[in-house]
Amino acid sequence: MKKILLVFLLALVLSVSACTNDDAWDSSKNITVYTRDTSSGTRAGFMEGIDFSDAAENDGLLVDGFLIKDNTGILSSIEVDQYGIGYISLASLNDKVKGLQFEGVDPTKQNVVNNTYGLKRPFNYIIRSLDDFANDTERDITLAFVAFLNTSDGADIITNEGAISLSSNGTWDDIKDQHPVCSLDNSSITIKFGGSDSIEKIALALTESFAPKCGNFVPEHEHTGSSDGFKRTQGSEKDGDNYKHVGFASRPFKDSEVGSEGTQGQLAWDAIVVIVHKENLVNNLTAEEIKKIYRGDFLTWDELL
Amino acid sequence: MLKIFNTIKIKLQSKHKKDYIDIFVKALFFLTTLISASFIVIIAIFILREGIRPFIDDYDGIGRVNLIRFLMGTTWLEGQTFQSNLYGVGFIIINTLYIAFLSLFLSLPIGVLTALFIAKIAPKRLASVLRTIIELLAAIPSIVYGLFGSGVILKIIYEMAKIFGVQSKGGNSVLATVMVLSLMILPTITALSEVAIRSVNKDIELGSLALGATKTQTHFKVVLTSAKSGIFTAAILGVGRALGEATAVSLVAGNARSGPTFAFFETTATLTSTMLQGLKETIGIDYDIRFSVGIVLIVVILITNLTLNFVKKKIGNVYVK
Repeated sequence: MKKILLVFLLALVLSVSACTNDDAWDSSKNITVYTRDTSSGTRAGFMEGIDFSDAAENDGLLVDGFLIKDNTGILSSIEVDQYGIGYISLASLNDKVKGLQFEGVDPTKQNVVNNTYGLKRPFNYIIRSLDDFANDTERDITLAFVAFLNTSDGADIITNEGAISLSSNGTWDDIKDQHPVCSLDNSSITIKFGGSDSIEKIALALTESFAPKCGNFVPEHEHTGSSDGFKRTQGSEKDGDNYKHVGFASRPFKDSEVGSEGTQGQLAWDAIVVIVHKENLVNNLTAEEIKKIYRGDFLTWDELL
Repeated sequence: MLKIFNTIKIKLQSKHKKDYIDIFVKALFFLTTLISASFIVIIAIFILREGIRPFIDDYDGIGRVNLIRFLMGTTWLEGQTFQSNLYGVGFIIINTLYIAFLSLFLSLPIGVLTALFIAKIAPKRLASVLRTIIELLAAIPSIVYGLFGSGVILKIIYEMAKIFGVQSKGGNSVLATVMVLSLMILPTITALSEVAIRSVNKDIELGSLALGATKTQTHFKVVLTSAKSGIFTAAILGVGRALGEATAVSLVAGNARSGPTFAFFETTATLTSTMLQGLKETIGIDYDIRFSVGIVLIVVILITNLTLNFVKKKIGNVYVK
């Protein structure tokens, strides 16, 4: 027992002293693949972004020996693991790791907003056609909500929830006079929100903050997926039992989902960035290369240089 | 008001009423005991109700989970998360036990020697300071151990693996998990062992010294042997904590999806870390199966404790006051 302890202590001391690693990055080493777990929305967005959607909920398609960590877990692991690769939401990127270019474009907020960075998806909204509301109050509250999305108050909430807000035009206080409906008591009015479940958290935070600002209307959330965003506001289910006033979609609207003028728009971007260790020599990866790494076609960094 | 108070007072003074109060207090205590004891039943029913579902419910066509396959499986999940019933925890059970006993193997000798030092060798002042430090160590929440593990221990393991010529996965490994767990169960083992060592009859010790044994001989051959039953209790509680710890483990284990893993630098998974994975986001069969894992965990802890208790009885009790 004494011997075992001694050997262990020795190894510990050695390893601590070796922490100042000055050995160079070795491209012949194996790639360590990090991923979020199957219930993560970031994982779904990432897999979709690299054209590997099947792997969003199926660990079996990924390379052998991958690691599952949460957002911060991936971030802190890549700091240590010189040969690791992982992905995080752009909001959490820091300078302790290297955020890779995607298809040659730097992962910056600016490139996301000007639509050149590819590994992202838009968060869109759609409301009912203006002449399709049951009454004027419901229509006016919905329009006020859309206006709120573009204020800095709305943008702050979106940023807090981890997405990238679009440029904002002033605060809610600046524009609330244009929405007289919000100074009335609306506590008997229910506004129904639905669509993408990836946006549910953001939508909940938005309505929680906005309802008190607009006469305490009652927000009702039922998020069942992006396709229901259009279907239940202006599409086939718009007059059904589960109709919605506001629908969300965490992807671009399809050609078959064009609503009447002025009822659709974008509230945010969700951007994901692929990260590696700072010493890693790789700077840029394409969707195809990332897919091959996660599928196990590329096993060492050599194959990417 | 005063009148009522006086009546109560008089009633209290009579012998008959005193008996009445006795009965009332008894009933009250019985009630509180019943409440606390019934929680185990409520929790067990809740976990069983949720955890049995995957084995009997069809989940709209996904199908039942096969119990044998579940208990013997070497891959956590084959197929898609919300659309597959091919879950398996066999390898995780092995991993969990392997890790728990490795941790015990590491922290038992350290803990017992620390306890011996505090109880018998250290000067009184130093002993009380050390005891406080050990108590503080026990009071640190597990998430803090987890953060310490992922911030410090993972780095150490990663560099250590390099020395051994192994490319570890960011340090996430069996060894990292064992180190974090050993650290966590160390105070439990030390505190309980110390109590056991203290309660060894002073006469045996003096007898040993009187027969010419040195202090060291007495400490190891007489004191520790006499206290072994108490030390074993410490070990049992230590293993219990190691088996049930989730937060810290899930931060350093790497959450391997298949196994079992025995190599020190390979990633691993325990029952608890598997339960914790994505718990807040998941639904349907993928959610319910976590309760099934919970049942497995309870059974594993129960069996382990019963076995260790059996062994403890075999070892026997020597002259403990």
